[in-house]
Amino acid sequence: MLWIDGLIQGILLGGLYAQYALGMALMFGVMKIVNITHGDLMVLLALTGISAATTWAIGPWAILVLLVVVGAFLGWALQRTILNRVVSADPLPSLIATFGLSVAMQNLMLTIWSADTRSLPGGGIEQASFQVGPLFIGVLPVIVLIAATLLTGGLDAVLRFTRFGRALRASSADVEAAALTGVNPRSVYAGATAVAVGILGFAAVFQSLRSTVAPSDGPFQLIYAFEAVIIGGMGSIWGAFLGAMVLGISQSIGFRIDPGFGILAGHLVFLLVLAIRPQGILGRE
Amino acid sequence: MTTIPQPLAGIRVQRQTGSGIVAMVLFVLALAALALMPLWASQGFIRDMVELCCYIAIAQMWNLLAGYGGIVSVGQQMFVGTGAYFMFIMAQLWGLNPFIAVVLCVVAPMVLAVPTYGLLHRLEGAYFAIGTWVIAEVVRLATSIFPYVNAGSGMSLRVMGDYSADQRAVGVSILCALLILVSIGGSYWLLRSRYGLALTAMRDNPVAAASQGVNVNKLRFLIWIAAAAGTGFAGAVYFMAQLRINPPSAYDANWGNIAIFIVMVGGLGSIEGVLIGAFIYFFADRWFGEYGASYLIVLGLATLFMALFAKGGLWGLICKMVDAPWFPTRRRLMGGTK
Repeated sequence: MLWIDGLIQGILLGGLYAQYALGMALMFGVMKIVNITHGDLMVLLALTGISAATTWAIGPWAILVLLVVVGAFLGWALQRTILNRVVSADPLPSLIATFGLSVAMQNLMLTIWSADTRSLPGGGIEQASFQVGPLFIGVLPVIVLIAATLLTGGLDAVLRFTRFGRALRASSADVEAAALTGVNPRSVYAGATAVAVGILGFAAVFQSLRSTVAPSDGPFQLIYAFEAVIIGGMGSIWGAFLGAMVLGISQSIGFRIDPGFGILAGHLVFLLVLAIRPQGILGRE
Repeated sequence: MTTIPQPLAGIRVQRQTGSGIVAMVLFVLALAALALMPLWASQGFIRDMVELCCYIAIAQMWNLLAGYGGIVSVGQQMFVGTGAYFMFIMAQLWGLNPFIAVVLCVVAPMVLAVPTYGLLHRLEGAYFAIGTWVIAEVVRLATSIFPYVNAGSGMSLRVMGDYSADQRAVGVSILCALLILVSIGGSYWLLRSRYGLALTAMRDNPVAAASQGVNVNKLRFLIWIAAAAGTGFAGAVYFMAQLRINPPSAYDANWGNIAIFIVMVGGLGSIEGVLIGAFIYFFADRWFGEYGASYLIVLGLATLFMALFAKGGLWGLICKMVDAPWFPTRRRLMGGTK
């Protein structure tokens, strides 16, 4: 029963990781860049949300709407001011630029919010749970998983069926050919980053409802997102979702073996996938 | 029919410059001064120099990787930590002379570097970088639960108590000089050798270099191993001077931050840039370190600014004004008439 509980908790945890991973998969798929501030942006949104909730006394769902809008704007601005200058076949400029920005952001957040861990008051929803047989399942984690599934399905549908999605896919296949057919890569990139950081608005609310956030948490969330994307298969949206599930389950089972082994178990499963199936679960050769 | 040009009289390849010879003399003098520090410097000064030498070495190893090998790593702390930990194990647990252990310990980061590269080289550039971070985390977490090295609480180098403060100062000073000789002198020698030509070609364009017969993959692998050894050596020297080690400090992500800041501000792909960047970092840390977070914000923004607007760093800007390399690695065709 311990292991079934571990499995279910792992899938629920995976729902949260999927929300980190979707944006990263989207950005890497379209631009071939990794935004090192990915985790820090989530933390920034979460801390902003917590401050907004205490200042204006608004509930978590209003915060969610606020953070998705703020996140989309931040993503758009980040792409316009910094990332568009460093998108190239050479990975170095974008890595170093976002790396420097990440150090600056973490310390800026430390100055504003101090090193304390904080969480978002959810009005009771964070403690609510229901019973299935002998297991207790939290209401909030289930909502997180449903939200993650809807976000993944929605993003996949946007990529498949909308004009914006076609432009994104065209730019990711061959940016010059896409430009020839009338796609403006810079606007497409800005749109992709806006979507990616907007999704982090969901992750920020759910992370700060479920547990806590502190200014230095960003790098860990970045690594989880990255592992989920690689496990699932680069550039695949549903792959990122699946990878997040695998990562969540590995960590959750690992925690039940030994509390010090949980995070490490996730990393080891990631390395194992890299060793035996480097293209990821859904990746093609 | 094409005519094969005869070797032209009076043409030669110039590889050394006046500024290079001056710099070489100064470099040798600086090495001698480092090795002889106990004769003229205070304990505090020696401690500062250990730190500076470690920054220079770690940054130069990162520079070899990113500036020449085209490999970006943000997980160099894994080599700092494994080098230092292996030195502690050999000296404290196996009873080896610590001054021998500090040199032998480079084996551990080299051994770690092989499977790391084997796993990560499948990932594309940017993903390789995050992959190195994951492995650094794995090594840190594994060390934290490994009882043999006292898990999370860390170890003390008590065997150093067998040596007097003067003996320790002599040993550490010689190690500093050796560290600079290996990292800066070794890189200079490497870049002036045949491999240097291949590396420079690779830096400018890996595909073109491969078409000229450079085995890019093999060279990248060798550079990765060499950088692991150099970084591990620096880590061992640093923690030998600290006398204490624990997982959060040995595998501190800040090692990677420091290397990246030094190289990007000083100048990517040049030895001079690393020296300039290391001095800037060292003094900035002394003067502004007390401001803590706000100082790190400036550091981060400076790195961002350099990546966006001045990829060659400060040395690149200096080179635009005066052409006086300290460590000339170019080959220039001189003399001859048309």
